[in-house]
Amino acid sequence: MKIAIDAMGGDHAPEVVIQGVEQARDELQDVDFLLYGDENKIRPLLKNDSHVTIIHTTEKVNSDDEPVRAIRSKKQASMVLAAQAVKSGEADAMISLGSTGALLAAGLFIVGRIKGIDRPGLMPTLPTTDGAGFVMLDVGANAENRASQLVQYAIMGDFYARDLRGLKNPKVGLLNNGTEANKGNELHQETYKLLSALDGINFVGNVESDSILKHTADVVVTDGFTGNAVLKTIEGSARTILGLVKHAIMDNGVKAKLGGLLLKDGIQSVASTFDVSSYGGAVLLGLKAPVVKAHGGADAKAVYYTVKQVKQMVETGTVQKVVDYFQAHPATKA
Amino acid sequence: MSEQEVFDKIAGLIEDHFQVPAAKVTKELNFKTDLDADSIDSVEFVLELEDTFGAEIPDEDAENIQTVGDAVQYVLDHQNK
Repeated sequence: MKIAIDAMGGDHAPEVVIQGVEQARDELQDVDFLLYGDENKIRPLLKNDSHVTIIHTTEKVNSDDEPVRAIRSKKQASMVLAAQAVKSGEADAMISLGSTGALLAAGLFIVGRIKGIDRPGLMPTLPTTDGAGFVMLDVGANAENRASQLVQYAIMGDFYARDLRGLKNPKVGLLNNGTEANKGNELHQETYKLLSALDGINFVGNVESDSILKHTADVVVTDGFTGNAVLKTIEGSARTILGLVKHAIMDNGVKAKLGGLLLKDGIQSVASTFDVSSYGGAVLLGLKAPVVKAHGGADAKAVYYTVKQVKQMVETGTVQKVVDYFQAHPATKA
Repeated sequence: MSEQEVFDKIAGLIEDHFQVPAAKVTKELNFKTDLDADSIDSVEFVLELEDTFGAEIPDEDAENIQTVGDAVQYVLDHQNK
């Protein structure tokens, strides 16, 4: 198996990328890594080049580049070359920590969509209070979606949850503003009907954004605009509350600090429940091969887990299952 | 390549991409208004044109391709360049 890595994407590239790749390489002997990026920066960071090939390029996609234009004009950029390797079959999958927009464009326009998938969706794995986690898609690959596309997300999310999360009958929920069947706008009501009638999916109905962290569903389906807003609300709320707790402990004298010390183990346990790095990156689901976006600020550990996630996706043939499904069920197309 | 050959190839691409039978494709067909193409469809289609005809279509030119006839004419104008 070969995994193409955009070694120059992310806030701390190529350092954390190389560290994460080497950690994975040392453990997973059957994976070859194609590292796309500046050899002069990558080579000194490598402990050894076993199972690693560097494809030298100095061009890269910047975070402020217009995504589609960057993909079309920067043909030697590390991200573009990695995507081209997947398209040509040289690599089985790709990972990037770079610009999400550019990676979406590279995935869509270079790797390409699976026939029958109208619009790929971006799908991260998020934490739940019970530690199990859930996947949600789309969290922003699209500004708007049709009901038929949300059905495609449900099907793809279900395959992923079975293959990567080891679930036999994943609970699929539709993100909505109430749990009753008639809730939401036209999109939600139509999607609800389609999902209710869909065979092979364990549709548990509507789920609300205040309950998804309590694990009301294993796969949460939503349109890209709403999914992005919900994802950022979760991230922002968590950061804000943690900041407030920290200030309450640190800024309120000895008694508060002592209380904080006594709570330390409990707080660490909460932090580890919500540590998402072991879930890997966000998958751009619906493409002809796994394309995974790790967080721009990810550390080496997150890169390591993203490699393991991608390896598992390739090994379980998740993408091929989606291809086969939509070949056998063309009626679910838009 | 003759105009008819270019048209037939493009009609095939449209059938594949937009699920419209090639026989129903006309030169007047507008990507946005008739085929409901959004920005992603448009870029994908331009890339398919590039792959099929081996030409690079700059973004400025791509924006002017509104109808099937525009696409055919673009390919004819650039096929020997």
